[in-house]
Amino acid sequence: MWQKTKPYLLLLPAAATIILLFFGGIFDGLLKSFGYFPAIGETGFSVAAYDRLLSSSSFWESMALTLRVAALSSLLSAIIGAFIAVALFFLNDSIERTSPKPWHRLFQLPLTIPHLVAGYIMVLLFMQSGFLSRLLAAMGWIDEITDFPVLVNDPFGWGIIFAYAWKEAPFVTLMLYPVLSRIHGSWREVSRVFGAGHWQFIREIVVPVMMPAWAIATFIVFVFTFSAFEVPYLLGVTYPSVLPVYSYQLYTSGTLSDRPEALAVNVILAAITILLGLVAYYFSKRWNVLKGWG
Amino acid sequence: MKKHPRLLSLFLFLGLFIFVIVPFIPLILSSLSFGWRWPDVFPQAWSLRAWEYVVNDGRTWQAVGISLWIALVVTSVNILLAVPAANALVRYRVRGRWLFEAIIFAPIIIPPFISVMGIHLSFLRFGLTETVLGVVLAHIAPTLPYLFRAVMISYQTLSVDWEDQARMLGAGAVPRFFHVVLPHLLPGILAGASLSVLISLSQYLITFIIGAGQVVTLPILLFPFISGGDPSVASAYSLLYAAIAIAALAGMDAALKRYYQTNRASQQEKGENA
Repeated sequence: MWQKTKPYLLLLPAAATIILLFFGGIFDGLLKSFGYFPAIGETGFSVAAYDRLLSSSSFWESMALTLRVAALSSLLSAIIGAFIAVALFFLNDSIERTSPKPWHRLFQLPLTIPHLVAGYIMVLLFMQSGFLSRLLAAMGWIDEITDFPVLVNDPFGWGIIFAYAWKEAPFVTLMLYPVLSRIHGSWREVSRVFGAGHWQFIREIVVPVMMPAWAIATFIVFVFTFSAFEVPYLLGVTYPSVLPVYSYQLYTSGTLSDRPEALAVNVILAAITILLGLVAYYFSKRWNVLKGWG
Repeated sequence: MKKHPRLLSLFLFLGLFIFVIVPFIPLILSSLSFGWRWPDVFPQAWSLRAWEYVVNDGRTWQAVGISLWIALVVTSVNILLAVPAANALVRYRVRGRWLFEAIIFAPIIIPPFISVMGIHLSFLRFGLTETVLGVVLAHIAPTLPYLFRAVMISYQTLSVDWEDQARMLGAGAVPRFFHVVLPHLLPGILAGASLSVLISLSQYLITFIIGAGQVVTLPILLFPFISGGDPSVASAYSLLYAAIAIAALAGMDAALKRYYQTNRASQQEKGENA
């Protein structure tokens, strides 16, 4: 008896904590999004909040912005991350193995920087009177502050995209590098024997080897940027705002009647992220990318 | 073939350097500047005013203390929860394993603020808002999965045979855990703990919702400055915040290295005595 129940007893504290604190909160929000709100005397269920939400243009604009920002951020992170991974791969190849490799820690630095700080770094770099604008002015490319494009707190979301690209590209690299390091030096020599140059080697060997891990890493960045709050809250505009910020704006707008709508946004966000998460999990299992992820 | 390997390496290294390091330059310059006007690439006047403000303001160190305290408590609770759970999932036949994994890993995929907004009013009723305890409870879900995963990986490489051997030599359950299991898990626990601390340190929204501005962690203190406050002070605070996150990670790393060194030294001593 004890042997049979023991593992469940060992699992109980962790599972119960997550169920209570995490799923409890999601369930609580789900009920309130349907208007079930005993604290203010509402005990009926209705889909009014979803109705109002799905027929409002600001929700759909918010959805479009969120999709665009997440897609561009993950794409840019994927390209830069892959570039760093390949660069590290060749750097290791061309320098003797005994020498220390400081860049292995160096490229991970942006990962350790909190998101709000990364956001502020982008403000200082890319705002109209920012560092980049100053450099361009010093080189004589622009004459006025207003010659520099609005890239921070802009309606398109460039600032958000840059911040994510900087923070998440090293994550993509971190996922790719172990895969790349499985490519043996001998493969390179064989490719040389067959007359392949640098680019051919990258195109024919390096890219196919890292493709599955690359796709999964990009997808994970997409799911994360789709539902993250801090960076768009700092670098976005009030309208249109990405879905998490939109939800927060509704939640804190002051009237209790907007809260079911905010929680309905959350339910939709949760549903989308669960779906995306399942897709990522399915393909990573199939391609055997995430070793050790359960 | 290898015509310019050094040139290529230099070029690649330079690219990496620009991508990682150069973004910090305006942050550092801004924190040391005194009225940095466009289009000056470097400030005309330097000043330590912002740093003096940050270092001398009592709220700064209070926020650092509360942030680290919350991260520490959250991580300790996570360790207590994660070690038995990982043990059960790795070493026992568990029915519905996928369900337990799905439950514990869910907060990685579903953003935690969704749960926190939902639970907010219940926390209000129980008097948990505006308290450190409430913030700690809110930080557990987003951090626990990472610690759980790290401990799980450690358990996967720990053979049951080692414990059986200790049992045959007469070690009870408690000494077996502290002398056989824990030393093997420690690197995994520390790696997971670093992630847990880092994630706890970087939470803004859920701390803000539950803490309601009364639990002032570093990100809460920082936000008004970076969203339109004094740029020099905002830069100094940003650098301090980033430095504390990095220092927390480096500290964990150093602790692990020290543990291995003292461990090896004591084992060598034992070897010499025998």
